[in-house]
Amino acid sequence: MRNFFNQIVLVVVLSVGLFACSKSDTTTVVPVTAITVRNLSADTVLGINSTTGMPYSAGKYTFYSLEKNGIVPNTDSASTKWDIAFAATKILTNGGTSGVGLGGAFVFTGLFDDLKTISTDSVFKTDNSATATYAITTGSGKGWYVYDQLTSLITPLAGRILVIRTASGKYAKLEVMNYYKGGVTLLTSASDADKLSKQRYYTFHFSYQPNGTKTF
Amino acid sequence: MKKSILYLLCILPGALLAQIKVVKDTIAMDGDSVVVTATRSERKLSNVTVPVTIVNAKQIQQTGSLRLTDILKEQPGLTMTSGFGAGVQLQGLNPDYTIILINGEPLVGRTAGVLDLNRIALGNVKKIEIVKGPSSSLYGSEAMAGVINIITDASSKIPLQASLRYGTYDTKDASVNTALTSKQFFYQGYYNYYATDGYSIRPNSASRVTTPIERFNINQQFKYNISNTTNLVVGGRYTDEQIKSDISVTNGGTTIHSNGKEHNTDYNLSASLNHRFSNTVKTSFRSYLTEYNSIQNLLTLSGAPYTDVLNHLFKRIENQTDWVVGKSLTAIIGGGAVWEGVKSSRYDSEKVRKSNSIQYGFTQLEWTPNAKFIIIGGIRFDQNAAFASAWSPKGSLLYKINKANKLKLSVGQGFKAPDFRQLYLDFTNAAAGGYSVFGTAQAQKVIGTLNDLGQIGVLYDNFYQLKVLQPEYSTGIHLSWDYEPTNKTFISIQAFRNDIRNLIQVQQVGAYVTGAQIYSYLNIGRAFTTGIEIEAKQQLADGLFVSGGYQYVKTGDKDQIAQIKAGTVYTRDANGLSKRLSLSEYVGLPNNSKHKFQLKLNYYHANGFFVNIRALYRSKWAVNNTNGNEVYDNGDSFASGYISLHTSIGKDFKNGFSVQGGCDNISNYIDALNLPNLPGRTFFGTIKYQILNKK
Repeated sequence: MRNFFNQIVLVVVLSVGLFACSKSDTTTVVPVTAITVRNLSADTVLGINSTTGMPYSAGKYTFYSLEKNGIVPNTDSASTKWDIAFAATKILTNGGTSGVGLGGAFVFTGLFDDLKTISTDSVFKTDNSATATYAITTGSGKGWYVYDQLTSLITPLAGRILVIRTASGKYAKLEVMNYYKGGVTLLTSASDADKLSKQRYYTFHFSYQPNGTKTF
Repeated sequence: MKKSILYLLCILPGALLAQIKVVKDTIAMDGDSVVVTATRSERKLSNVTVPVTIVNAKQIQQTGSLRLTDILKEQPGLTMTSGFGAGVQLQGLNPDYTIILINGEPLVGRTAGVLDLNRIALGNVKKIEIVKGPSSSLYGSEAMAGVINIITDASSKIPLQASLRYGTYDTKDASVNTALTSKQFFYQGYYNYYATDGYSIRPNSASRVTTPIERFNINQQFKYNISNTTNLVVGGRYTDEQIKSDISVTNGGTTIHSNGKEHNTDYNLSASLNHRFSNTVKTSFRSYLTEYNSIQNLLTLSGAPYTDVLNHLFKRIENQTDWVVGKSLTAIIGGGAVWEGVKSSRYDSEKVRKSNSIQYGFTQLEWTPNAKFIIIGGIRFDQNAAFASAWSPKGSLLYKINKANKLKLSVGQGFKAPDFRQLYLDFTNAAAGGYSVFGTAQAQKVIGTLNDLGQIGVLYDNFYQLKVLQPEYSTGIHLSWDYEPTNKTFISIQAFRNDIRNLIQVQQVGAYVTGAQIYSYLNIGRAFTTGIEIEAKQQLADGLFVSGGYQYVKTGDKDQIAQIKAGTVYTRDANGLSKRLSLSEYVGLPNNSKHKFQLKLNYYHANGFFVNIRALYRSKWAVNNTNGNEVYDNGDSFASGYISLHTSIGKDFKNGFSVQGGCDNISNYIDALNLPNLPGRTFFGTIKYQILNKK
């Protein structure tokens, strides 16, 4: 009796599956795959200034192309070859005062997989260094991360997806997963030296839609 | 420091001479089954309708407790909190929901809602009554979690007692207790000097977790029986404390070091005139004045001075009349007025006192329909000048099922008016990166002015929702079942639930151009705490007792739970990907441990020898919302659960001498970040001498 019932369920499931397949065959959606990038260094700390006691770094952005999935040399900063750039917790898009491209972004609250289509009423912001307002809002708890004053650790906020318009006007979605070397947040008890030297290493995953639509 | 010891030595001979009158009885502290907190008049514990835990002088002495925190942390269901001094958490509620009384009068001088219980020395305490739950209308509307009443006794029968104690970290404690009694007149004087060098439990850190402290306490109490029906009780208490501070504060990645001195004093004076008109009617007029004064002078390493001044003045007059209406009915009716004022450098001007006045009336009826039931109903009305007036009804019931079983139920509703800081704070912390906190009475105006000056970087949406705060409203219910099959066994099982709405919480409402945060207060939360408590005591043999307690508390913010259910709160899975937070990962309010237990073994011999060992456990608690999703869940930082072990051994000799030695935190458990008040393993030794009454 039970076996028979299971078989019926199986038949129903199969037929629904077949029906669904035949329907989706009519459109030609190329599935975008999520790519994970690990350990992307972003202006890492070089040392501590002995007079001010503040950490210092080279002060250089790491430019990245979501289209090519690779680092773009700094010499190409004034081109449309890069889509986003990282330096410590700051993330730039290739547009506005930051670049010559069509780039922009906004922060979506929700899950990566839930963002299937960028809604038409979404507003992409662009960087403006004069007013210090950026498409991806800077500051703890405002954009993509939170800084814990007690432990001096940076944690990417869960459920914050950076929706990015690339330099060429295509769309991508990106989620920062970790900010520390090896993709593992340090223990609160880690030494101050480790907390400085092992930060500014991005682990993120993203999906890039090459066909120019807002659907992933 | 040395001067104070000298002073102590100087007053000793005087005190010795003072003990002329010899009191009748020997030391018998067994008036302990009498409770005063529930009704403000002496009641047998077995006839009290609310759950009361009594800690007597013997327990205080044999555990080697010096300050109120030492003994409270060992009581079932009580948790000590750190930050702004040591406060007490009862039933998962914050320290501001528990009223601390000394002989029925409230202590003031709270910082961020916390009253530092280290201020209270225990040497002259006769007993401590801990009443849990929404019990009484007599003490104020906010006592929802409970009332802790510290009772000293003018009619002490020990004419003179002096003790000296020395312990780890150069901790010194010396006290003298004197008493004079005649038929008409009672006097008790208590002097205590305490000093510690503090300790540094962080490796490689110069800054001490508990800084060097010197404290001086004086208590004086007079009682004069004018006639058989009238007496006058006058009391005074003074505390002086000097704390050397060495502070490091990190904000926004910048650490600022500062050092300085903190000087806190507090005194209270009380007088009550009690008259018995007849066997059925008595009345009591009470007046009470207390002032807390705190001056903190800090010098940051950059050389910028920083002074923090707080002065809190509290005056109250009250009348309470008790009328035995009939055999089964007693009525209490009373009323009074409170005038309260605070001056602080953290307000707009330290010279202008912010004040508030409250007029109140209360009535409490006690009905004993038969030998099995006692029912108490009470209501309190507070007319608060700064806020709307409010009624807070409370009720409790005792049902003596049979000789061995008792059931108690108490329910109540209360409210807690916003305190001065939540209204008037105007504070920028230069020693911690320049963040500001503004009370709601002027937040919009002050921030608006700063904005006009171009100093504001960003204002959040909640800035525009700022308005004068409303009181927090709460309801509570407490049920307990006491089981006492023999005089050797006692078990109590309790269940409670508290609901609070309009919770006042600190929120960031914006930021300066510099990035420093701006905070204010909003009525936003709805929270609950619920749990069970089990207490058990068993006498194993002559003089050998085992006792234990267990508490389970569940807490939560109802708005956050609604958000979690709606799927708008996120966390990360093991792979670092975002996911929706499930309710099972939610841990409720911070600083709350789900499980706590205490286990104690006590032995006393008739020859005066005693030894005890106590184990205290507290499970992990959330301390910081590290993952930034604004709720406390498994992905946040926790302080680990821990067990601490304590022991003490001593002997009281027949000639009045006693010796005692002990070790606290035997296993040397340390958590510098989360438990700054728990030093590592410490030892102490005490000698005490008391002049006994030889008939």
